[in-house]
Amino acid sequence: MNREEIQDLYRQHILPESKVPYHFERRESGKVVKAYNPMCGDKYELFIQQTVGVIDEVYFHGFGCAISKAATSMLLRKIEGMTDQKAAQYCRDFLNALDAGDGSSLADETLKTLVALKNFEGRVDCIKLSWEALLNTLEHDKSE
Amino acid sequence: MNLYRSQFPVFDKYPNLAYLDNAATTQRPKVVIDAMTEFYSYENANIHRGVYDLSNQATAKYEAARAAVAGFLGTDAANIAFTHGTTASVNIVAGSFLADRLQPGDNIVVSILEHHANFIPWQILAKAKGAELRIVPIDEHGDLDMLTYQEMIDRRTGMVAINHISNTLGTINDIEQIIAIAHEKDAPVMVDAAQSAALYPLDAGALDYDFLAFSGHKLFGPFGIGVLYVHDRYLADMKPYNFGGGMIREVTVDETTFASYPTLLEAGTPNVAGAVGMHAALDYLSQLDRATVRHDLTDLSEYASEVLRSIPGVSIVRSPRRYAGIFSITIKDIHPHDVASFLNKDGIAVRAGLHCTQPLLHAIGVPATVRISLSIYNDRSEIDRLRASLIDLIRFWS
Repeated sequence: MNREEIQDLYRQHILPESKVPYHFERRESGKVVKAYNPMCGDKYELFIQQTVGVIDEVYFHGFGCAISKAATSMLLRKIEGMTDQKAAQYCRDFLNALDAGDGSSLADETLKTLVALKNFEGRVDCIKLSWEALLNTLEHDKSE
Repeated sequence: MNLYRSQFPVFDKYPNLAYLDNAATTQRPKVVIDAMTEFYSYENANIHRGVYDLSNQATAKYEAARAAVAGFLGTDAANIAFTHGTTASVNIVAGSFLADRLQPGDNIVVSILEHHANFIPWQILAKAKGAELRIVPIDEHGDLDMLTYQEMIDRRTGMVAINHISNTLGTINDIEQIIAIAHEKDAPVMVDAAQSAALYPLDAGALDYDFLAFSGHKLFGPFGIGVLYVHDRYLADMKPYNFGGGMIREVTVDETTFASYPTLLEAGTPNVAGAVGMHAALDYLSQLDRATVRHDLTDLSEYASEVLRSIPGVSIVRSPRRYAGIFSITIKDIHPHDVASFLNKDGIAVRAGLHCTQPLLHAIGVPATVRISLSIYNDRSEIDRLRASLIDLIRFWS
């Protein structure tokens, strides 16, 4: 990916999402999921409001780069209203597509954008950060 | 054109690379790479145990490297152990020296400027022994508060651990004064010289530190080899931390007696090629006029500081009174990681994040920074490119 392509991607998809992130607000109640990357210092908390097996609302707050913030914001937009199970599968599908570097299996255009960003050297952890943290929590909850 | 750049093969392949991540690792000059290739190609054998020519020669090379390190620090080979690097050296001192001496109620004095490698081993040890970890703060410039050293170091201080140059702020710490304060109370001092060994004088006799550590890869040498210096007064107190071949005196089915320092720390097959590479790196440094190189680098650092300061939206994190060519910067509204990614697209290599100094960044109240660190092959044209890229990025972002 050259400089111009990266600028286009940021201009069209990342910055609009990261500058006005969805539900970017600290909440005092709900389940808290910590999405930390000790290598780069990105640190988010996801605040999940659930009623029996369904994710009603999710907010997030913290500090991170434009990519991790945009990727978290996109995640939150998608999973509200999903059952825990469906949300976990949604995260799994996305992370698998990301690992494979092929977003063609994904129906969602914004997610395809994130997969395209995988080619932005060294930034895949930023994309995954909140997705992995949420998936780990959902899987852990299920096994309890 | 910079005088040294052509000596580093990486710039043959990437002529336009502005490598500004020297605090993480320096590049290797051809002489170092050649020395290691020569060893692996034509001189390879394990040391100490063989009586054939190749083994004898490898042993001689390994010990010659130790002698070269000793010469570099103005001490004897008997004070020099080879380790995996600075981190390993600090851990060895914590575990093999201090662990048995530290009593509940004692204390260890570190600074808030420390790299995790010179912080966590002391924190863990203090906790395990019921000792206190005392942390010397910095002032608004990023300089250590020397008065606090006077207050914190006392007769119960088991160790004073201090970096010579901060890997995040570039502060050059007055280790001479810290050592003097510590020695008034008979407290030993461990100096983390990872960022300073390449270019700053570290004469053991003049500075009188008790322990000192540095890594090969931050002074143009190879990865995976480092140095631990131990002063004569503590040599007999060093205990083995790894057990195995090469470090024993006698082994019976009932018990084992150990060789003396430094052999007792070098269990197993050592990194012989790494030592050979370290030797070549020290030879490389010895043919530099280090005083002039330091002067030029200070000059370049002042230029970089001026340039960075002049860019609207860019802030330099602290401005120590004496600083080496290391800067942490933040850019308004743009996360360090995004900055580093965009600079990469312009052929500029910098590091973004916490730089293994989380307590420091937490104390300053900065979540992460972009770090720019300079070395001998950098010049003003690269700083000018950095400036242009940052201005371009800030414009793009707004």
